[in-house]
Amino acid sequence: MATDSEMVFVLPGDGIDASLIPTHPKRPLRLGPGLRHIPPSTIVPTIAGQLVTDHKKNSLWVEYNGGRYIPAVGDLVIGQVDRSAADFYYVALSDYSSNASLPQLAFEMATKKTRPNLATGALVYARVSLANRHMDPELECVNSSTGKADGLGPLVGGMLYSISLGMARRLLMRKSVEEGRVVVLEELGALGLAFETAVGRNGKMWVNSEDTKTVLIVGRAVKETDEGNLTVDQQKKLVRKLVKEMS
Amino acid sequence: MASHDPEARLSHLQSADGSATFSHAGYTVVGAVNGPIEVQRRDELPEEAVVDVIVRPAAGVGGTRERHLESLLQSTLRQIILINNFPRTLIQVTLQVTVSPENEYVNAKLSQAATNLPILPTLIQTALLALLSAAIPLTATVTAAVLAIVADDGASTIIVDPTAREIQVSRSLHVFAFTSRDELLLNESEGEFTMQEWDNAFATAQRQCCPAPTSDDVDMEGGSQADLKNFTRSTLETKTASDLYWK
Repeated sequence: MATDSEMVFVLPGDGIDASLIPTHPKRPLRLGPGLRHIPPSTIVPTIAGQLVTDHKKNSLWVEYNGGRYIPAVGDLVIGQVDRSAADFYYVALSDYSSNASLPQLAFEMATKKTRPNLATGALVYARVSLANRHMDPELECVNSSTGKADGLGPLVGGMLYSISLGMARRLLMRKSVEEGRVVVLEELGALGLAFETAVGRNGKMWVNSEDTKTVLIVGRAVKETDEGNLTVDQQKKLVRKLVKEMS
Repeated sequence: MASHDPEARLSHLQSADGSATFSHAGYTVVGAVNGPIEVQRRDELPEEAVVDVIVRPAAGVGGTRERHLESLLQSTLRQIILINNFPRTLIQVTLQVTVSPENEYVNAKLSQAATNLPILPTLIQTALLALLSAAIPLTATVTAAVLAIVADDGASTIIVDPTAREIQVSRSLHVFAFTSRDELLLNESEGEFTMQEWDNAFATAQRQCCPAPTSDDVDMEGGSQADLKNFTRSTLETKTASDLYWK
């Protein structure tokens, strides 16, 4: 990542040094989470965290961990079906937030006659297709341009774990080992455990395996890494310990 | 001896979106923030978030005094939370007082006018830390101070962070809160005072809450009072560093 090596900490309302704002001759400046643009040309942080500048993408955002999940378009999330209506499922993304709606036809190969039947409490892996502060979010389980599921859809069996939003972000990084510094899943796989996972940006992780013990170990390993702020070496040690305890 | 150093713990409650425990001037307050969450229909505001503040005393159930503090806090926090970002939602701030200076409740019945104000800065500071921990977007941070004016043979002296005893013998009591951009946010006064005295108190509070941006560490020997503005910054800086340890 093209980030500044030194850490720049900001509090809400702080001024941002002009040298930290990237300039690019062609691309427009993109502001990520935690920043507010006050016209004409003031940029103010709105949350406490680390200011990150990406000169290549000409973008600027505040990195933080914590708080409640706020839906954004394109995020992959794990939701729990709350109830179903004529054309929609109402899906809970986090406790006490308003439900997201998932059209019953937004699944792969779904038609009026063949639509998936999800009971209350069922889990779905979905993408946020509409997020707007004035409306409840909308989800989809199908890529609307290709009609393919791309791995989205109902999650059957397995177990759901709650993790911090920062951990979910790290696990969802394209290079989660190099950039996110999480190696637990790779290490568990290397030791011969067979399992599948799905990570939701809303702080949920679903784990499934033939073997119940494996499900528990994977969940525990990730949760302990998250809560204990474990480094790469500590994660490797933890995995070895957990696998030894199992057998 | 006037005031102990402030202490804080952040994000230590598991099921709240953000939380903080803050101790200062003999008070300890536990704060939790949840939001943005679904709001009851009858409280809903179409264009902005509802900010709900609940204050619970160290002993007994809340009464008029707590309702008064809640209304003061609610109007203060609404000024710094970006409520327009989350229309039709609720941001709930719960503050539980766990420790208060000893003679706070002594003779509470006798002197009906047992003052509400001394705890206000601690409540504001706890609410701010909990909001930052919950990553709720804010326009700025806030710093508050309480001052007592004690008549001393005709001449009046101003005491910052007065003790319970000093409050008893004081002629008037003032609470001021300033944003991190040095704007006055809250001004509450009790007792008898002249305009001149208020002006002096205001100037003292401003010096206390909005220290001139000097190089770090210089203020350690200068003021005997805690510099809450820098305290907030260093607390959050530590938290961010530990949250983003993997960076």
